[in-house]
Parts: sequence; C-alpha cells; structure tokens
Amino acid sequence: MLTEVHVPEDVPAAVSLVAAGATIIGGGTSVMPSLNDYGSPPTELVSLRRAGLAGVNIDGTTVTIGATTTLSQIEHEPRLEILNPVVRSIASVPVRNLATVGGNLFVPQPHGDLAVALVALNARAFVLGGLDDPAAALDGPASASNGPAGLLGGDGARTEVSVEELTGARTAGLVAAVVFELPAPGSFKYLKAARRRYNSASLVTVAATITESGGVVTGARVALGGVSNRVVRARAVEEALIGRPLDAATVQAAARAGLAELSPADDAYASAWYRRRVFPVHLRRALLGH
Amino acid sequence: MRIVNLKVNGVGQAFLARPETTLLLALREQLGLTGAKRGCAQGACGSCTVLLDGEPVVSCLVPAATVDGADIATVEGLADGEKLSDVQQAFLDGFATQCGFCTPGMIMSAEALLDRNPNPTRDEVNEAISGNVCRCTGYEPIVSAILDAAERRREGAKL
Repeated sequence: MLTEVHVPEDVPAAVSLVAAGATIIGGGTSVMPSLNDYGSPPTELVSLRRAGLAGVNIDGTTVTIGATTTLSQIEHEPRLEILNPVVRSIASVPVRNLATVGGNLFVPQPHGDLAVALVALNARAFVLGGLDDPAAALDGPASASNGPAGLLGGDGARTEVSVEELTGARTAGLVAAVVFELPAPGSFKYLKAARRRYNSASLVTVAATITESGGVVTGARVALGGVSNRVVRARAVEEALIGRPLDAATVQAAARAGLAELSPADDAYASAWYRRRVFPVHLRRALLGH
Repeated sequence: MRIVNLKVNGVGQAFLARPETTLLLALREQLGLTGAKRGCAQGACGSCTVLLDGEPVVSCLVPAATVDGADIATVEGLADGEKLSDVQQAFLDGFATQCGFCTPGMIMSAEALLDRNPNPTRDEVNEAISGNVCRCTGYEPIVSAILDAAERRREGAKL
C-alpha cells in the first residue's frame, strides 16, 4: 500500500527523497500496477512529474532527453523521427501519454523497447545520487560542461552511465536525462516482433546502428529485447557483421553466432523455443529490410 | 491526506486524497463520476481512460496527488444537455456499444484522436484504440463509428 506520495517541485528535493528511500515514480505505468493490488509492502513514492526533468534538447547531433519526457512526446517530436517507430511499438496511446523515457530503462523484459533502441544508439544516462552498483559507473561525476544544460538541476553528484550498464543495475539513484548522438541517416535499424501489431510485448526486438564503407560493415552496435531478462548487447552478432558485406549470408552467420547470447524465457506471449527459432528471421528483417 | 484541486469537465473540484487515491478512484468515489470504469487496474484494459490536460491516460495508474491542478475530461462532460457528442451519437447509431463497460474509455480515446487528427485512416483508429479492450463487439463497429464521427465532425465544421 501507498503510505505517502511526494511531488517535489525541483530536482534536489527529489534526489533527497530518493536518498531517504522513497521509490521513484515517473509515469506510473510500471510502478502503479503492483501497488494497485493493495498487497504490496508499505511504499513511499516520489513523483518526478513536477521536478522539471521533461524536455528534448538537440544541439547539433547531440540529443538530450529529460527523464520524465513521455513516450508520446518523443512520438510527436519531429526531430526524433528515428525513434518514432520505436515508441509507437510500445504499449498504447493512453499508456504512452504517461510512460517516461527514464522509466523505460528499468521496466523488465519483454518490455522496455526504447531501452533496447537507446543501447543500440550508445546512449548515456546522467544519474543523480548514489548507485547501488558503483561498477556500473563509467566516469566520475560529470562536470557542468558535459551535463545536459537546462535539464539537470542541483549541485549533487552526477554520474554518467551507459544505458547498457544501467538497464542491468538494481537501482541507480535518479536518472535525470539520456544523451545520444543522432546516427547517420539510414544507419539505425529497428524491428519489434510481437503477437499483435499494436500494444503487445516483445517476442524479439532488434535495434542496431550499422555503418558501412567500401561495401563492408565498418561499425555495428546491436541490441536485443525479448530474448533475456534484460536488454542484450549482441556482441557476437556485431563481430560477425564487421568486415563483411551486409547481405543475407552475413546476417545468417551473425544470427547463428548470436543464438549463444540469447537466454529467452517462456511467457504468455511466446515460448523460449519460439523466440530462439524466430530470432534469425527478425534479425534479417531488421538489418536487411526483408 | 492532502487537498487536490482539479478542473473536471470545466468545473473546479477540490477533494481530500489519501496516498493510494488514484485519479480513477477520485473521479468515481469522491466526485461521483462513474463513467470511467475500474477494469484491470494495470493500465492494460483502457476502461478507465480519461483526458488529462487533453491527452488520454489510464487513470488507474495516476496517483491523484501527482496531478493537482490538472484539467480532466471524462465521458460525462461530452454531451451538451440532451445532445450527444459526435462520437457518442456515432457509437449509438452504429451499434458500437454492447455491454458498455469499455464504451466510456473507448469514446475518450476516440475524442482525443479526432482532436489531434480530424481525418484518421482506419489503421490510425486501430492504433488509437489499441489500449482499449472490448470483449463484445469485435471492434469493427467501434472503428466504423469513430470514422463516422470523424466525418460528422468534418461536415459539422463546414456548416
């Protein structure tokens, strides 16, 4: 049951409440279902709705998205066209109007498709407050110059963490924003296979940033959803792609290599067997478009 | 307990909210607006859909304390006296309601779609109501009614 709902008006107050043990609620789409059963342990919430962490800033090719920016705001942001198919593959309109970018980093698989895309885009997150798992931190406290101006308030310690590491962390202080570089046109690939066209969890989600030069793949960053209890960075797939032409034979070999990285589960949407079986098909469709 | 102020269907309302009071519970139990329904309480069925500052949300997932000062629209605010809204009338004329449990949420999702997109395709309607579960109609009469309502609105705008 809920014992208190704090609605701080600024980031330092939110960070203090998190440090004191309150559970963060962004849009509530992940937190509230477990609280609505009235069987949950006493829980104190800190809502980030008024903390001033919503907004999108694009400076050249550097995109900064405030943690409480909703998935719908991303959907309707013309400068973030590459993320439009990603967010539209997630849940339904009334849920996307609540669900936040920061919250999507922590929802359990087979949900959290935006997190999959952000891993493929090599996104970093700015975290305020302490990390349970200090090994997840890549750099020390960020300086004001590399923090996303206007979205990070307060003078507390800031840590820059890769979204790839963050999605596996137990708790992570308070995510204030995610930052990534817009990829070259055509280099970002995304495909989500689900039971229904709209509003269904992932069977297999593939997100990738692929660069090619001279007829061969020169860079590959591939992330998978729906195939493990967390977002998978498919390094074996990446290695199998690099240095080879992006064609059916290469992708088939990459899919074979990638199978070892999957640890899917049976759930109401599909069996683990089915997910492994269709992974090569969806990797090919994502990377080659057919 | 805290006092929460909302503007609901254009009328200012104030009520005492416990921490566990969701927007849905406040509407139904404190403000007497029982159009929005409690279905799954998980954000999955859409029967509690209302407009929060003009956008459809599943009100079962919104702690009331977090939306103090917001503008809320529910199905009760759509009709003008005895005159139903275009969407409501299209649902009635097109037999898009059977048991009626999903109807208020479905209508609010439709109203929001038509506010944003006056001329949606059938596929855009499908996407807009993908969060609203109906176990009676098979959806086709609902989709057709929303397209009909869009046409009524466009015709009305020409007059």
